Amino acid sequence: MSEIPGGRMASRPLHFIWLLDCSGSMSINGKIGELNFAIREAIPEMQQAARDNPAASLVVRAITFASGADWHIAEPTPVEQFTWDDVHTYGGTDMGAAFRLAAAELRTPPMPERALRPVLAVVSDGQPTDDWRSGLREIDATPWGKRAVRVAIAIGDDADRSMLKEFLGNPELEPILAKNPKQLVAAIRWASTVAVKNASTPTVEGDKHPTSPLSSTDQDEDVW
Amino acid sequence: MPWELLEGSVTGVGKTHSQDSCAARPAADGGALVLAVADGHGAAAHFRSDLGARWAVEEFTQSAEVFAREAVRLGSDVSKWPILRAHVRSLPQQFVHRWRERALLHESNAPSDGATSARSLKELEKRLPVYGSTLVGAVVTARLLACWQLGDGDIVLLDDTGAAQAPLSTGPDIGDETDSICQREAWRAVRTHWLPFTGRPPRGVLLSTDGLSKSFAERSGFLQFAEEVGAMVAEQGAAHVRSRLTGWLEQAARHSGDDTTLVGAFAAPVPPAPPATTTPTSPATWED
Repeated sequence: MSEIPGGRMASRPLHFIWLLDCSGSMSINGKIGELNFAIREAIPEMQQAARDNPAASLVVRAITFASGADWHIAEPTPVEQFTWDDVHTYGGTDMGAAFRLAAAELRTPPMPERALRPVLAVVSDGQPTDDWRSGLREIDATPWGKRAVRVAIAIGDDADRSMLKEFLGNPELEPILAKNPKQLVAAIRWASTVAVKNASTPTVEGDKHPTSPLSSTDQDEDVW
Repeated sequence: MPWELLEGSVTGVGKTHSQDSCAARPAADGGALVLAVADGHGAAAHFRSDLGARWAVEEFTQSAEVFAREAVRLGSDVSKWPILRAHVRSLPQQFVHRWRERALLHESNAPSDGATSARSLKELEKRLPVYGSTLVGAVVTARLLACWQLGDGDIVLLDDTGAAQAPLSTGPDIGDETDSICQREAWRAVRTHWLPFTGRPPRGVLLSTDGLSKSFAERSGFLQFAEEVGAMVAEQGAAHVRSRLTGWLEQAARHSGDDTTLVGAFAAPVPPAPPATTTPTSPATWED
């Protein structure tokens, strides 16, 4: 087969950013440990989703938020090289700070103009303790932030689901509620794979976005 | 016919079937060409978009053939160009309306949601996204070129030097958002380009679904592709390019992941003229 004329060809990058709640309440009932476990468990499936979609070069980053927010993994890391170092709890729930960190990376530059829609996946078990709305506005003001595929996972009944719904930005969508470790694993796995597939399909006005992955037949006891 | 046609289409990696559709054929008794590509949106929300893409091409080409006959009949008379220009502007309403009627009829007869009871027009219209598609089309005669574009995809013109330009490009396409023939008053979203040939006509016209341009790392690499294909047709012949086209599109689809379709029309090389005793008044190589 002869080489195609023209310039260099390349897959488009797909940026996946975890925004993870590391507030003190995440240490209650082992939530932070289950979160670390769930993300680590999801990596092989995320890698498989990337292999199934060779048109996307999936790169992963992670932000943690508690008292302020920090990049847990700052470098966009190709999913094939992605490993998980455990996150730890350290204070409040400054989700707005996490949104601002993400927003700074969703501008062009540093984001390229040629890319697939990024995925923003928020996991939280509580109420934000800072001005999260201004942070969300910063995300919405960026060209990629307003187009991002958004996923929100609420851990337990204490999570601020109305706030997470606002983050999703679509009245038809609800945050995924995980009330036990099994549901958290399913939610993280879903966010890691289905949201990636969703990011690489074209969008038309009125399109629906990802729906909940959790089965209503899940019989595990609610612990959160 | 002094034009060479190219037509190729491949299915995206990992997809069971293509949701692209295309056409490239003579019209107006050989006095014109009609070209079209359509890209069904795919994904679960648009699971009948292969039908939508096919209908978009069929309804466009039917409307475009009427325009092509008019363009051949009136195109040599400059005073009639305003009539043709008005026809170019009204064509989107025609083909979008025809597509819509066809999709509504199909939806009524074969409900995409499995409904068994009769549904109102409003309810049927809500199901049109199932058939959503883009459409890129063109009519070429010896005197003029007209292009229409609804949603993503590309039209590239090669000027008489072989340099590429994309007259309907709207700049970087962030996030794969696209207009669609299924949207309300979709004809309003159709972009048009009208080019009467007052100088030398273009050397070629290429229409493609976005799977092709998105496979290149840079936009300039895609335009370079168009220029090199044009040069290859001129130097090595259209048959040579045709024999390689599917392989090229498959390479592109591996990078874009999308169904990838290209149609093109190229001015056929003109055989060397016998020694002339007078200088030709028109350098145009395209003929009625």
